[in-house]
This record gives sequence, C-alpha cells and structure tokens, in this order.
Amino acid sequence: MTQTITAYPPTPPKPPMPVGKRLALTLLPPLLMGLALVLLYAGTRAQLPEHRQFLMPGASDLWVQAFSRPDVLAELGARAAVTLSIAVVGLAISIPLGMGIGILMFRLKVMERAAFPYLVALQSIPVLAIIPLIQSAFGFGFLPKVLIVALFTFFSIPTTLLLGLKSVDRGIIDLFRLQGAGWQVILWKAGLPSAAPALFAGLRISAGLAVIGAIVSELFFLAGRGGLGQMLINSKIDFKYEQMYAALIASSALSIGVYLFFAWLGNRLFSDWHESGGKSS
Amino acid sequence: MTDHPQDQIALEFDDVSMRFPDGTQALADIALRIRAGEFVSIVGPSGCGKSTLTRIASGLLPHTGGTVRVDRNNVGFTFQDATLLPWRKIQGNVELLMELRGVPASTRAAIAREQIELVGLKGFENHYPKRLSGGMRMRASLARSLALDPSVFMFDEPFGALDEITRERLIDELVDLYMRKGFTGLFITHSIPEAVYLSTRVAVMSARPGRITETFEIDFPYPRRPELRFDPRFVETCNTISSALRATLETAGPAQ
Repeated sequence: MTQTITAYPPTPPKPPMPVGKRLALTLLPPLLMGLALVLLYAGTRAQLPEHRQFLMPGASDLWVQAFSRPDVLAELGARAAVTLSIAVVGLAISIPLGMGIGILMFRLKVMERAAFPYLVALQSIPVLAIIPLIQSAFGFGFLPKVLIVALFTFFSIPTTLLLGLKSVDRGIIDLFRLQGAGWQVILWKAGLPSAAPALFAGLRISAGLAVIGAIVSELFFLAGRGGLGQMLINSKIDFKYEQMYAALIASSALSIGVYLFFAWLGNRLFSDWHESGGKSS
Repeated sequence: MTDHPQDQIALEFDDVSMRFPDGTQALADIALRIRAGEFVSIVGPSGCGKSTLTRIASGLLPHTGGTVRVDRNNVGFTFQDATLLPWRKIQGNVELLMELRGVPASTRAAIAREQIELVGLKGFENHYPKRLSGGMRMRASLARSLALDPSVFMFDEPFGALDEITRERLIDELVDLYMRKGFTGLFITHSIPEAVYLSTRVAVMSARPGRITETFEIDFPYPRRPELRFDPRFVETCNTISSALRATLETAGPAQ
C-alpha cells in the first residue's frame, strides 16, 4: 500500500486590523442597539392614542419641561443627595454589622450552624412586604428608610465574607500557626486581606441594591423632604410626567454611579495582586 | 559549615505513630535521630505519610503515639507551595514571620533585604508574588524562613511543582545555604537523586502505614557540584536506594 502525503503550505499571519475598523466594531453594536431602542420607543409612542401619549414623553418635552429648567435640575440634585444619604447611611449600618456576623460565624462553627439558616430565611422575606410594619414601628422619619436599605443590602455581606474567609489558603494558615499566631492575628493579617476581593464583590451588589432600596423606601414615605422616590410619586400626582422621567433617569444614573464607584475602588485596591486583576504577568 | 557539639540531637522521633480520627494508621514505630547539622532526606512512595511526619515534627499536627523531641521555637518550614501572601510585596512577605515574632520594623526590614539578596531576588523587593515565576516565589519562601535563622529546617517536597532546570538550580542553592548557615535539615521528597544530592543521610519509608525501613549514609563531600550527578558512585547509591524503596513496595503487596 502506498502512503499519500500532502503538503500543507504555511498560513501567513493576518495583518493587524486598522484602528478605525477596530473602534467601529467595538462602538457600533451598542450604538445601533441604542438607536433601535429609541426607534422602538418612538414607534410605541406613535401607536398610543393622543390622550395617552403623556405616558411616554418625547425628547423635546423632556428637554423643555425638565432638563432645560434650572429649578428642575436643582430639585433633581437636592433629591439625589437625599436618596444617596439614605443609601450611604443604610450601608454604614449593614456593612459593619454584616462583617461582624460573618466573622462571628467563621470564628465559631456553632454560630454558623445557628445563624446561617436564619440568614437564608431573612433573605427570602420580601423586604417590600414588611415596609408597612417598619412604618408602624418607626414612624416616617429618616430612620425607617435607613433600616429598609440595611435590610435590602445586609444579606450578601456576611455570606460573601464567610465564603472568602473559608477559602483562605490552608498553607498560609499553617504558616501563621507555626509562629504561634492567635486567631485575631490570623484573621487580621491573613483572613480579611484574603477574603477582601470576595467581600468586595458582595459589596458591589449591596451598593447597587442600596440605591434601589432607598428609592423604594421613599415611595412609601411621602411626608417631609424626600429624595428621588418621592419625586416619582409627586410628579405622578401633579401630572408632570416629564419630571417623572427625569427622576427615573436620575435614579438609574445614581445607581450606576454607586456601582461604578465600588467597581473602581475594588479594582484600585486589588488589581495589583489579585488573580482577577488586569495587570497580570 | 557551623560546628555543632558532637552528637547533639536536633530532632528525634522515638517510636512515633499516627492514627487519624477516621482510624487510618498513617505512621507506625517511626524511630529516627537527627544530629545537629545533619541533613536527612526521607524518600517514600506517595501517600506513605512522609509529609505527615514533617507536620508532626513542626507541631502542626499532634501525633498519637511515641515522643518527638525538637526545639519548635527555632523551626523553619517550607511547604509544597511558596505560600506567599499575594497581597504583600516580596519585602513584606519576607518580613512576615519576623513580624509575627515581634521583631522591630527597622530590624526586620534590614534582615529581609539581606535574605532577599542571599536567595538572589535583589531588585524584586517591590514586586507582588503574581509577577514572579514559580522558582522565584520558592526563593522568596526560603528567604522568609531563613530570616528567622532556624536551627532546624523542614522541607515538605518544596520543589515538586517546579520544572527540572529550575529545580536543579534551587537544589544547588539549597546546598549552598546549608553550608553557609549550618542548619539541621529534614527534607521530604519522592526524588531519589534529589535526596542523595542534598543529604548526609537518606531514610527510606514504606507504604502506609509509613515505617522507616532503611537509612543510608551519603558520604560525598560538600560542596556538591552538578557534575556529581554523573559520578558512577552517585548513580550506584541512587540505584541501591531505589531497590530498597521497591522492596518496601513489594512487601506491602501489589501497588494500588
């Protein structure tokens, strides 16, 4: 039997793509998608009977009635600050509390067994459903809104921290034990730094939820000086739908802003050494 | 090499045995006396409990029978991985053990710089471990232990994950460090040539339950040079130890 051999010629390397083309390939798809969504919005609006078109204000109305008016912009800014303060104070409660519980569960196995099922149960309670109860108990001030944010953001903190602490390299713990280090030293110098990236992933989720929690809490509290959530309701009552849309846009901008801040902070803190960091060798 | 009082024992296993809570008998009747300044390697099939032996000697694992005699305050320990803290730069990693021992900051910074230079990592003080190769990380790990100037240095298969060339270079450097510092060495490995090249004595362990079946004095003079690996007497010694190791496997029944 004869053997047939085939000659395989080399494939020349592809010339690098021109910068313009690469840029177009990156930017064009999201731009086209955005355009499609705007057309969909305009198309849907055109289908609506005239007396219901207020539900979907057009771009010019949005500009004239909301974003071009200094008083509306000032209101948006002031209300965003109120919402942000509720979110931040809520996080200031849930983060240390959640970390404390995470550390306690890590330190004492029995605490983990005791508390973990209730943490899961707590998460399964729809927070919205207990807002009326919180209102009855704590009134209509700042505190109940902050509590709602804390409830919204609490769960992911102890669980991600516990997971992070549990996955500390055994060898590193042995290294500390060989020098007779106590658990506080091991926690401070090995556990927390090692768990920090996992914890931060949890924090990023919590931070986004904090803004949502703050806005939702305001929907239930119309008295007093409120934030963006209150503006959403008020503009409905006053039939100012352009302003409602402005408040909606401001809400999502705030939420995205807080998320981006935590993403940036995490990247700054961990990219030098963590596996997920950008500057790998 | 530093001189040691004649026949002073640095590490002794006196009929040490180990039974894990699940009933596995990992070690049985381990008897081994290591004199100060000796470098003893333990070779054995995988799973024979040789790593367990170093964990017991260092105090990481409490043994269940017999007596261990060692000065645990002056033990250096090198793990299978470099176990560097990824969030610390090399300088900070080499300072770690001194930090845990309460050495003042300025002293430990100076000692760390010395050790980093000794293991050939000068210039990498401000690099994070992830930017270093496996061999460089292991060097940093050695520097970290050397900073405490341990009298007994235990190595739990430290070079197993490295490529052949890096490994041989690190072994040569370890011989060099041993001659300079004069510590007592306990080295766990599954590589017979590595054990013979490094050690003054090689102990052979049987499969589970681990027992020391035979020990071999290795009398090649130090410093040992890479050419030694091709010396017929070196090859012969390796063969003898290899047959001893195979014999333990045969008495233990067919290989799993």
